Formats: sequence, C-alpha cells, structure tokens
Amino acid sequence: MATPHFTVHQPATLEEALDLLGRHRASVKLLAGGTDLIMKLRGGAMSADHLVSLNRVGGLNRINYQDEDGLVLGAGARISDVAAHPDVRKHYPALAHACSVMATTQIRNMGTVAGNLANAAPSADTAAPLLAYRGSVVLVERGGRRQVKLEEFFKGPGLTVLEPMEILEAIRVPVPPGRAGSSYLRLSARSQVDIAAVGVAGFLALDLDGCMMGVRLACASVAPTPVRCPEAEAMLEGQRPDPRLLARAAVACVRAARPIDDLRATANYRRAMVQVLAGRVLQKCLSMAQGGAQ
Amino acid sequence: MKNPAIIGASIPRLDARQKVTGQALYTDDLTLPGMLFGAILRSPVPHARIKRIDVSKAKALAGVKDVVTGADTPQVKFGNWRLVPDSQDELPLAVDKVRFIGDEVAAVAALDKETALRACSLIEVEYEELPGYFSVEDSTQEGAALIHAESEGNVSLARKIKYGDLEAGFAQADYVREDTFRVHAVSHAYLEPCSSLAAPDEGGRVTLWTSTQVPYIVQCLLASTLGLPENHVRVIKLNTGGGFGGKMELRKWEFCAAFMAVRTGRPVKFTLRRADELASGRRRHGMPIRSKVGFSKDGLLMAKDFDVLLDGGAYNSMGPTATFLCGNFGAMLYRYPAYRYLGRHVYTNKPPAGAMRGFGAPQALFAAETQMNMAAHDLGIDPIDLRLLNAMETGDEIPEVATISSCGFKESLVKVRQMSGWDVKRQEKKPGHGIGVGCYSFISGGVFNWFNTKYNFASAEVRVFEDGTAHLLTMATDIGQGSDTVLRQILAAELGIGVDKIRLTASDTAVTPKADLGTWGSRVTLMAGNAVVQAAKKIKEMLIPVVFGHFDLNQIHDIAFENDRVFSKARPDKGFSFGECVYKALKGRRGEPLTAFGAYTPRNKGLVSPAFSFGAQVAEVEVDEQTGLIQVHKMYTAHDCGVPINKMAVEGQLEGSIHMGLGYALMEDFVMKDGRTLNTTFLDYKIATAQDMPPSQSVEIDTYEPEGPFGAKEAGEGLVSPTAPAIAEGVFHATGYRCLDLPITPPKVLQGLGRLKG
Ligand SMILES: Cc1cc2nc3c(=O)[nH]c(=O)nc-3n(C[C@H](O)[C@H](O)[C@H](O)COP(=O)(O)OP(=O)(O)OC[C@H]3O[C@@H](n4cnc5c(N)ncnc54)[C@H](O)[C@@H]3O)c2cc1C
Repeated sequence: MATPHFTVHQPATLEEALDLLGRHRASVKLLAGGTDLIMKLRGGAMSADHLVSLNRVGGLNRINYQDEDGLVLGAGARISDVAAHPDVRKHYPALAHACSVMATTQIRNMGTVAGNLANAAPSADTAAPLLAYRGSVVLVERGGRRQVKLEEFFKGPGLTVLEPMEILEAIRVPVPPGRAGSSYLRLSARSQVDIAAVGVAGFLALDLDGCMMGVRLACASVAPTPVRCPEAEAMLEGQRPDPRLLARAAVACVRAARPIDDLRATANYRRAMVQVLAGRVLQKCLSMAQGGAQ
Repeated sequence: MKNPAIIGASIPRLDARQKVTGQALYTDDLTLPGMLFGAILRSPVPHARIKRIDVSKAKALAGVKDVVTGADTPQVKFGNWRLVPDSQDELPLAVDKVRFIGDEVAAVAALDKETALRACSLIEVEYEELPGYFSVEDSTQEGAALIHAESEGNVSLARKIKYGDLEAGFAQADYVREDTFRVHAVSHAYLEPCSSLAAPDEGGRVTLWTSTQVPYIVQCLLASTLGLPENHVRVIKLNTGGGFGGKMELRKWEFCAAFMAVRTGRPVKFTLRRADELASGRRRHGMPIRSKVGFSKDGLLMAKDFDVLLDGGAYNSMGPTATFLCGNFGAMLYRYPAYRYLGRHVYTNKPPAGAMRGFGAPQALFAAETQMNMAAHDLGIDPIDLRLLNAMETGDEIPEVATISSCGFKESLVKVRQMSGWDVKRQEKKPGHGIGVGCYSFISGGVFNWFNTKYNFASAEVRVFEDGTAHLLTMATDIGQGSDTVLRQILAAELGIGVDKIRLTASDTAVTPKADLGTWGSRVTLMAGNAVVQAAKKIKEMLIPVVFGHFDLNQIHDIAFENDRVFSKARPDKGFSFGECVYKALKGRRGEPLTAFGAYTPRNKGLVSPAFSFGAQVAEVEVDEQTGLIQVHKMYTAHDCGVPINKMAVEGQLEGSIHMGLGYALMEDFVMKDGRTLNTTFLDYKIATAQDMPPSQSVEIDTYEPEGPFGAKEAGEGLVSPTAPAIAEGVFHATGYRCLDLPITPPKVLQGLGRLKG
C-alpha cells in the first residue's frame, strides 16, 4: 500500500478527454470528484499511471430541467448541487433526498452523481431513485454516442456496460406524469453517516380513476447491483391502492433482493428491512400522489 | 484558597489557536536530515512457532539501510507492571513465537516509505502454525495449548477481592438474581495514529520523539530493552492527538526506531497507518461477566458475587490494572455489606487489550448498572429510588480498599431526576420512547505503584523571574485533554499571576523533573496539580519574607498573591508587583534564581485512589420497532468532579465521553474472523459522528475534594461508563427488550422483540 504515483490530465473539452483516454489507454482512469477513485488508488484496489480529470471540461456540470425533455445532469454535476437544485427538488424529490442524505457534506461537495453510477457500488445511493424515475445514461466515445437505460447499465459490483474508452457524459430522466409520488428511504444499522445497508426507492402515479400506474420500485445494497422489483411493480400496476395490496407488494420486493452478510448487516436483517422500507416508501408515494404532504 | 477569576473559569485551551491553524507540531510532522523511514512486518497468522526468518532479499533491496528481527535485539522482556517482573511478557520483536495476527516480527529502515514496505514484503518467514484461540472460553478449556508457556491454563493472572459474609448475605436476601453479561472490545480511535522518531545522540545516547501518554515509562522501558542507562534515553512528547489509554506503554516501533537509529547512526521514523491501528492496535477488554446480587425486599443491597474473564488478547499489556479496577467498580457506587470478586485475565490469540478510558469500569458498570435496573424492575422500585436507597456517601469506607473523602452521588441522582423530567417521562410512557439511567464512579489516579518507580508519582518545577513571569516544568503529559492549560491555571491561581505569564515545558524526560507516571486513570489534574501547588507554595515562601522585610510588617499580617501583585491583605498598599518582588528576592540571593520543586505521591490512601468522582446520567431514546433503529434524543448528566478547574474542559470531557459511550453502546464493534480483524477503516469500523451526537445537558454538583488541588478531582474518564447502561435501560423502557450483550444493534432489538429470526 505504497503512496500511488500518477499523472493528472486536465482537459478542457470532452474531445480532448477522449483523446487522452485513447493515448494512455494502457493505464488510465477517469477522475470526477475522486471520492471513490482516490480511496481505491490509495488502498491498492486499483492502479493507474494516468488520471483524466473531468473537472475542467466545459459545460459538464450542467443541471437542466425542461418540461418537454425532463432532467439532464451533466457528468460533472456535484451531489450537493443536485440536492439543492429547485427543479430536482420539485420534480424528483426522491433523488434530491438521496443526494442530501448520502455520504457526508465534504463528500457531497466533491462527489458527482455520474461518479456514483460509474463506480457501480451495489449501495450507490443515487441509483435506486434514478431507476425509479426511469433514468438513462448517455455514453460517449470517439466513435459516437449511445443512450443506455440505467437498469441495463449495471453489470455487477463495480461493473457497468461502460467501455474502457467511454465517458458517461450525462444522465437523462424523463418528465414524471402529474399526480405522481416518489420516495427514497435508506438506513444504516450503525450511524447517521454510513454507507446504506438497505435503500429502497419508489415511484407511482394515479390515473383518472385513482388506479396506480407507472409503478417503479428499486432497491440498493441488497444485490450485486441496484435492482428493480418487477414482481412488486406488476402487482400494483393498474390496481387501486389498498393497504393490504401495498403490504403484499412490499413482501414481493424482498424476492427481488439477493442480499449477503457483510460488515454492515446480515442478509437476514437486510431482507426484513427491504420489506419495512418498501412498505413505507409505497405509503409515502401514495400520499404524495393523492396530494398529501410530500 | 480559591481564585475565582482563574479556578472554575472557562478558559479556552492555550494551544487551541496553534492546533486549529495547523501550526501545532505532531511527531509525524518532524523530518530530520538523513532520516530513514521504518516499516514493520507483522505476523499473518494468529499463533505459530517461527521456524525460519530470511531477510537477505530485503537487505539486498536498494535503499534499505537496516533490517532487524528478534534475533538481532537484546531480547529483554518488558511490560508496564515492573513491580511484578513475571507479568512482563513482551519482547520488542518476536522470538520463537507469534501470538496474534499483527504481532511484530521484523522491522526495516529505508530511504523512503515505499522501499521500507517493499522490503517487508521480501522478508521470508516460515511458520509452524499452532491452534489459535479466539475466545476466553476456548483458550481456558482443558488441554488448550499455552499461548505463553508460563501461564496456567492461559490465565495470566487472577485478582480477588472479598469482604463481608457473602453466604450470610445471600441467605438473608429476599431477592437474588444472577445474570451473565457480555461486553465487547472497541478501539481507542485516537485521531493521531502512532508516530515515533528516534535520533542517535552523542555518547551512544538516543532521543525519541513519540506520540505517547507516558514519556517516563517509555524512557525507562526503552532503556532497559536497549540495555542503556535510563538517562541515555531522552523521550520528548510533542502534541499528541489523543490516546485514551492506547498510548500508555512502550510500543515496539518506539523500540525499533531507537534501536535502528543507534545501529545506522541515522534518524528513523515510524508512523502507523489507520489500518494497522485498527487491525493490531490495543483495544478495550471484552469480557463475559457473571454477576449474582441479592437484595432485601425493600431494596437494600445484601451481597454481590462478581466473576469476570477478561479477554486480554496475546499479552498482558495493562490487563493487570484493568483486572483489578473491574473488580473495584463491580461494587462501587453503593453500599455492599458483602462482596466477592474473582477476575481472571486470559490470553487469547487476538490483538492485546490494554488500558482504555475507564480501564475496566465501563465493562463492570455496564453489568452492575444494568443489573441494578433489572432488580428495580423486579422489585417494583423506581431505578433512581433504588439507587438513592443504597448510594455511597462522603466518609464511606470500602474495607481495606478506600475511604470516600468526597461524594456527590446522591445529589447527582436527585439533580438528574429533576433536570430530565424523569418521574413524568417514566410514568407517562409514549410508544417507542424510553428513558433510562446509568451511574458511575471513577478514580482520580491510582495509588498502586505497579511501575515500581523510585520517584514521586508527579512532580513540578517552578521558576519565577523579575519580569513577572514564571516557567513551569513538568513531565505531566497533555495528549489533548488540556492539562497544559489546567496546570497553568493552577499555578496562576496559586501565584496570583495571569495564565498568559506562564511558560510551560512539559514531557521532555531530559529537562522536566522526575517523575510523572503519565496520563491515565484520570490522575493528572489531582496529582500533577498537587505537585504544582506544592512548588508554588515553596516559591511563595521565598517571596513572603521580602514583603515583610521591605515594609517592616507586623507578624500578624497575611500576604496575598493576586492580580500580579504581592501585598499585605490588611494593607494592600504595602506590597509590590510580582516581578518587583522576585527582583528584590533575587538581590537578596545574590542572583541565585528562584526555583522550587514540588511533588505528589499518594500515601495512606488505601489500595485504589486518593479520590473518587461520581455521577448519574439519563438517556432519552426512541426505538423504531420495525427497523430496530435506536435514536438517542437527549443525554442528561449530573456529576461530581469536585471543583472544576476549567469548566469548558470539563464540558469537553463530558461531550467526548458521551461520544465514546454512544459508540460503545450502539455502533462500535470489531468484526473478527479466526483472529483477523476485518473492519480496518473508519468506513467499516464505525465511531459516532457529529450527526449521531444527541444534545446534552449537564450540571456539576458542588463538592470539595480535600485531597485535590483547589478541591478538584476526576472528570472525563468515569463519564464514559454510564452512557451504555443508561441507553440500554432506555431501550428496555421503550420496547421491553433488555440487552445484556453490547453493542445494542438493530438486529438484536428486532430479535429480542421476536421480529427477526436469529
Ligand atoms: C467517506 C465516504 C462516504 C461515502 N458515502 C457514500 C454514501 O453514503 N452513498 C454512496 O452512494 N456513496 C458514498 N460514497 C462513495 C462516493 O462518494 C460516491 O460514489 C460518489 O458519488 C463518487 O463520485 P465521484 O465524482 O467522487 O467519483 P470518482 O471517485 O471520481 O469516480 C468513481 C469511479 O467512476 C469513474 N468515473 C467517474 N466519472 C465518470 C464518467 N463521467 N464516466 C465514466 N466513468 C467515470 C471513475 O473512473 C471511478 O472509477 C462515500 C465515499 C466516502 C469516501
């Protein structure tokens, strides 16, 4: 665990960044806030001779919401800026909440949402709400761009579909429908400041008859990647909200989880908490959609 | 004599500005010309015989200047309990055997850290593994292999305490209960990792700058392990970022730095990484505690039988003291007509447990105070009432152990009950909410001379000058608790000069007077404070005649030292400034400087301590019965620390104690597998953060400790004990779940409530 030595490059444009990636392809990493990367380099879990920083790439830190296109988060958008952004708070409260409670003040001021996704920890706090909001990521390489749905982005702990020479340029989230509610709850069994042992996000809207539609549920920290809960979603889709149905859906969420025992919690406890949090998340989504308090 | 402007004032730390602006120097900040960087090779196996060590590849690596193994060293055993040489069970580097994962096997000094670490990885060690024991039950079972050949069944020592008629007590008791508690090991988690820098000095001498709580002990033990006269070793402590008991021994990297500095003729520095600290550093003793207690039907304590196995890890470290104190605090706070204690210190193949804030008391008091709460519940008596019924008072005697010279315990109970709104909150219970109480007592330094020093326990030298300033020299060791400030307050109050007039030189064994046993057991304010008072009084004796002579005062006059002046109390105009007085005294002494030595050694103070602190704490908690999450909403504390010298410092100690107590109660825990510590970063080993801290309200009970300087006694170490039992009782009150094994985790709560399968 010697002190790592590397060269940091500070390109001003995305093109330059892509060039640098290509030039140093043998041993290169992208650097955003560095809150994951530097720890891994120091701890010896990762090594690189070159770091290509995204921090001076122009225009990358944009946070932009439009009623037609929805939300665009540039790869440079800091977690704390996303948490504080009025449009995010208004239209994507579960994401704003995740960004305001995860990690610590210092980490949120440096870390980016894109870095959180690209790092692909099973516990990534922004992943579950972004899954619930149907987010996707825009990936760019020298040959061109592609857009990938977030649920297809994660491949395993620390693994994504990102190609080695590819940059996650932006995160896109569609406009949520009216009469919608969303929520994200996370818990650590230890401290207020901790990696989540379990996180659950939910989204639902109500149609004119008061039936639930567009239901999405997603969990973090309970499987090798953040996961959706398709069985629970299907149970609720098109149904009238009923406490017993919601409770059964919460139980169904547990079946989407494949948790392990680790330092933070046992699989057993995690499973039990998926049910508890999913139940609470659904309650909250519903009361928001019904016009209750947020 | 109390000087209210100084004693009891809230004076910010005199070193605060330097620290917050980053100017304060810590050992790792030092770089000397030609300095080498050290690294340690540690055992990867928990218990093994060393068959062979080959350092040739490491030595051949470019940039490596020295490689040492146990075979190169004088192989002198050491340990803090010099009084009992048999207890000294450590060698500076392993010889023949390793006893825990992390045991120090070899050391390298190289031109840079990377090379030193690389060289360590090139050292080849062949081990023959022996059975590893990771619990006291396993290592004490019949036929277990001995971790130290000299021990009996892996029990390194046993302590007994016995008074009163135990059998009769239990026979007469109407209510008897017996419980087994389990407390766990936790980390000191001081913010400054250990760092030591040694430099060779002329004449074969060596100087060691080190992050330590005990410069004098390090000096003596380093000298004996190196085979040098004591005074060939100079130990200097710079700023030290906390210790909590984890830095109160000679550590192996201190030896290696000095040993290799002498061998290479170059300075050598070792600085540990956090992962080393958490993986193999000292920790608090885990223990199973079996306690049997008897009460009369109206709640009077009749007898107690307390049986403890301390999980000492691989070496004795400060275990002997913890073993004794654990027994002492099993029966403090209340009047026990009969008590029996058996404490056994057990070797296991884990990192050694050592001294840690509370020193056996947090464990004993978690058990004792929880059992008190359980008894109160069964007897149908309010827990505070039950305590008031049995509480110790000033003048109480613990047979052959101690006399309580001041005790504000009952007042603490009454006060904390009132300030927390106890009676209402206990009765009008809200779902999920609970309120619980825990209490503590602690020592103000120890009277037992386990280090077998020939010098006084605490010493001070005071020099005064004609410019009105003074210089205080002491080996007392500020590791962040603020004694450098408090000792200057004591001197300033005694001499009647401003705190800013006092220069301080501390913790340099070549310069400051011998001796001081260091910072542990909450001893510094009382012991070093008394030494300072004595030296100051001697200075005053030199100055008083000057005033009498100059003003030709009648013998009935009394001389005051106040506001930088020395004068007759009755005729304040008859006097001069402090500086002028010193000037006149100097003239009379033909230029011989005014210097005085003061010392303190407790005598005729029983077996434990010259003075005891007391206090009561109430925790208000809320438990989410679906997730098991516990939130501590508020802590209330009423405590008796005698006269607080510096109120702000006492408050800081209380906040810090709650922080540590909270971690002990709810979140800190080593995750271990086969002797290996798995959580070795602060991301994985959780200490409480500022966000976890509950608001706190506190009151100091007005008492005066006759043995302490200006009436002061202990504050800050004992306070770490009541938090866990208070929270545990709060959780019980909220949910009906009674936790007997720390920490109180959400899964345990849910299991206790039958909502989660084991
Ligand atoms: C003390 C502490 C507490 C933490 N707590 C939490 C927590 O509670 N919840 C949580 O989810 N996380 C937590 N984290 C992890 C971390 O802070 C977050 O994952 C953060 O969002 C990472 O963002 P970053 O910008 O710092 O990423 P970096 O560290 O810069 O990068 C992370 C990884 O993503 C890659 N990368 C970054 N940007 C891009 C891009 N645009 N395109 C392609 N690849 C890219 C990097 O090469 C690297 O491999 C914590 C970390 C620390 C140190």
